[in-house]
Amino acid sequence: MDWGRIRFFLGEVARNFTRNAGMQATAIGTVAVTIVLLGAFLYVRASVAHLGSDVFNQIVISVYLNSSASAAQEDTLRSAFARDPRISGVQFVSKAQGLAELRRRMKGEVDTSLLTENPLPDMFRVHVRNAQEVPAVARSIAKMPGVQKALYGQEVVARLLQLAALGRRIGIAVIVLFLLVAGIIISNTIRLTVYARRREISIMQLVGATNMYIRLPFICEGLLAGLAGAAIAVGALAILRASLVPKIASALPWLQMNTFSIDLSSLVLQLVAVGAAVGVISSWIAVGRYLRT
Amino acid sequence: MISLRGVSLIYPNGVRALDCVDLDIGKGEFVFLVGHSGTGKSSLMRLLYREVAPTHGQITVDGIRVDRLARRRVPALRRRLGVVFQDYKLLSDKTVWENVAFALQVTGAHTRDVRRQVPRVLDLVGLAHKSRMFPSELSGGEQQRTAIARALVNNPKLLLCDEPSGNLDPANTTEIMELLRRINLKGTTVIVATHNQAVVDRMRRRVVRLDQGRIITDEERGYYFLGLGQDQILSG
Repeated sequence: MDWGRIRFFLGEVARNFTRNAGMQATAIGTVAVTIVLLGAFLYVRASVAHLGSDVFNQIVISVYLNSSASAAQEDTLRSAFARDPRISGVQFVSKAQGLAELRRRMKGEVDTSLLTENPLPDMFRVHVRNAQEVPAVARSIAKMPGVQKALYGQEVVARLLQLAALGRRIGIAVIVLFLLVAGIIISNTIRLTVYARRREISIMQLVGATNMYIRLPFICEGLLAGLAGAAIAVGALAILRASLVPKIASALPWLQMNTFSIDLSSLVLQLVAVGAAVGVISSWIAVGRYLRT
Repeated sequence: MISLRGVSLIYPNGVRALDCVDLDIGKGEFVFLVGHSGTGKSSLMRLLYREVAPTHGQITVDGIRVDRLARRRVPALRRRLGVVFQDYKLLSDKTVWENVAFALQVTGAHTRDVRRQVPRVLDLVGLAHKSRMFPSELSGGEQQRTAIARALVNNPKLLLCDEPSGNLDPANTTEIMELLRRINLKGTTVIVATHNQAVVDRMRRRVVRLDQGRIITDEERGYYFLGLGQDQILSG
């Protein structure tokens, strides 16, 4: 190993890095903000993915039978449900049970003693394995003989699914936007350094330094900015997590955030990789533009 | 060493800097390029170290076809020649030693080569005792000698000097020319573009005269002004 060469190279990088301290700080700050957003997004997504499946698992299809449905039709339905792999469980609720449940739920709000007749049909409660399949399963059940209606709160489920997708899209858009901004700021910072060193670069070219060699210190500068931003972001996220997650858990106990299943080390690695990539790519572009002209 | 065949250079703005130039320069020659400002001296230099590519014609430098040199091979060409400018092009935040070493360091030389070559060229240009000084602490002549040391540190076979004495007083000019003469004596081909009459007339070397992008005369042991040489020969 030729330590003199390494020392010379590191000296060049250090001089670049400290030359525009203010601009460099801006670049690092932007990377940090971007990665905090990205990290929070990934973290929330990982814990909400679980939460979401919880909510959707509570979706039940209520299959109301015709009042004229025969016991044979009931059995056919039962075995059809048992054969359907999408269905995870079935519960039969007779008219009488249904009325009893209704009485219990309405207690205090409505004078249930007024109900002298039982208006309810027999019904099945059908649990579906996968929330996405609920509409299809409900549709096929509705066509079966003896079935009057198969209801699952269509609008609510559709709205929930839409909301989840929209949230994901907005999150991704915001992160992409911030990544772009971070890239542009790093790239401008590097351009300033390039500009400040244009004399050195022209001399390097004159004495026969390769473009790769000229580029390398600037790429390292971008890489350093990206890594520094990522490090700050990871620190901020760790503090946020330590202070916020227990509060959320105690404030919203029904959320049941499944935060233990998140692989923190791989998340940190991903965030650092994103920071490094933003730094390298944007500085590469910044110097490339200069060297080509 | 150098051969130009039908070389023309037209800049993007339409200016015709060189027009069908043929020129051969052998190993170890010392050649002056003379002519008014804007007659193509600098353009010719820039073609030789591939700062620009010719619009037409063939250029060979030390066996390299410069006119069809790929961009990524340009550094290899530059390492085989040294270039010196009127404005020295030194880095003000580096010492004399660092400025000279820079040329080796950025081309990936080993530290032991840097330690061996830099003192050698500083000795050659007579600046060994000022190696720790910064360019701002040196005279113009010393700055130019630093630049020459940097150009020579790679042991090039060809040294290109574009107006090397343009910013220097007569005493420093003499000093630089004496240095170039010694470098030439060691076997390096030296090409000097200048419009310093005194320098050309004192050295009595080959003079290639350019006018409006064309070579109008090419004399061995020439003078700055056309005809003066022949007059001397006639009267002598």
